[in-house]
Amino acid sequence: MICPATCGVRKRQIGMRLSRLRNAGLSLFACPALVLANATNGQEAESHARVELIAEEYTPHTGKPVWVGLVFHLDRGWHIYWQNPGDSGEPPKVQWELPPGWRAGAIRWPTPVKLGSGSVVDYGYESQVLLMAPIERAAATSNLLTSVEADVRYLVCQEICIPGKAHVTLTFPAAGVTPKRAPGRRSLFEQTRGQLPKPLPAGWKVSVTQQNDHLLLSVRASSQIRGATFFPLEAGQIENSAPQGFIMTKAGFRLALRMSDQLARPISALNGVLVLDSGRAFELTAPVISRR
Amino acid sequence: MRRKTVTSRSASISIAMTLFVFLFVGLSAGNATRVGDRAPDFTATDSNGRVHKLSEYQDKFVVLEWTNRGCPYTQKHYNSGNMQRLQREWTSRGVIWLTVISSAPGKQGYVKAAEENAYVKQVNAAPTAVLLDPTGVLGHLYNAKTTPHMFIIDAKGILIYNGAIDDRPTTDVADVNGARNYLSLALEEATSGKPVSTPTTRPYGCSVKYPD
Repeated sequence: MICPATCGVRKRQIGMRLSRLRNAGLSLFACPALVLANATNGQEAESHARVELIAEEYTPHTGKPVWVGLVFHLDRGWHIYWQNPGDSGEPPKVQWELPPGWRAGAIRWPTPVKLGSGSVVDYGYESQVLLMAPIERAAATSNLLTSVEADVRYLVCQEICIPGKAHVTLTFPAAGVTPKRAPGRRSLFEQTRGQLPKPLPAGWKVSVTQQNDHLLLSVRASSQIRGATFFPLEAGQIENSAPQGFIMTKAGFRLALRMSDQLARPISALNGVLVLDSGRAFELTAPVISRR
Repeated sequence: MRRKTVTSRSASISIAMTLFVFLFVGLSAGNATRVGDRAPDFTATDSNGRVHKLSEYQDKFVVLEWTNRGCPYTQKHYNSGNMQRLQREWTSRGVIWLTVISSAPGKQGYVKAAEENAYVKQVNAAPTAVLLDPTGVLGHLYNAKTTPHMFIIDAKGILIYNGAIDDRPTTDVADVNGARNYLSLALEEATSGKPVSTPTTRPYGCSVKYPD
């Protein structure tokens, strides 16, 4: 195991793999942040993904939600999937195990990238991604948040796909113990927050009309936008592989999204993430008005 | 939209022309045939060198099953014996079951005829035939996205089902039992003269490995 000398931590990891050596560039993240935070990890040898459970703060006794996250370290050329995987694949599934009185909030999914070309297009992540979620007090409990465990099932694909499983554990230091902190962790959470889609800027307005087999997504923007891509949250609404026709309008821009040929039911609302050519990403939700 | 125009025009011209137009549209625009449309005819060679044409199966129900033996979603249905069971059941009831492999040479899942025949024997599969589609022409004609991806064509040549094999989009063999099998459901309904209650679903699985 490659670990920077400065880390100087004892670590306990089950199922370490030789292929991890290939991830030397990621070794900073592979070291637990703290002496008292151990990540236990039982994973298969040729999974091409390594899952790690980390916390943003190792002082969970302040009463505030504690942000934890699953870091997926992916071998070069391999990917996992967004909450809507697109045409193939499936998103990671996480089962949290928490002390009584605590609950996990929803995973915050960073903006994905389009994967694949041609007639099959997916949405997901390559290289490395942090899927973060808040752990909150669910009830008036005096239980301390001593540990967080997660059962993770995921599909990792290059050309071939391999299902993976991981059970990861995070142990928090006892109250009163000052945790030593290694660099890199907080910044990973901060960096990931920067990749989460934001609410639409004030003053922007979205409308969606259906015209024949297209949804026309019109956006009134407060600045000039030169390109945009829409990522649908719901699978099976639009043709993922169809080009999205972008045109600038007086007030902003319009995107033409081809509806899926295999639409199982009419689309009453469009939900998803709008990514501008600048890389900024926004959450979008709008009712669909039918204009035939 | 373009497809619709072509379809209505084709109603007034000869059947041969219709088939040509369907084929052309399917290839050029990548538009899938929608449930309720006439299924586009095709010619494809199976792993025994026999040529199959969809139109030769008039008056029969035809199942198209896209497959890739290296895909864990496909493996779920073969390792559990589910796919073979469905193949046996429905072919014994007169259904033509065509398994299709659209992996391109050099791509994951590409197989030569002899390898495929050995594999069919090994896993005790029982389709009517395995069509080899290394150019992806047949896959694109039906817009097959995943393995597995299932289609049903009725005895009149109309596409009556397009989508997943069942409602459990996972790789877990334990999910086969208790799943709602859309394919069997649609075949049961259609072969007893009823409309298909769930004619379209989102297929799940690995992507079809088309040529670049």
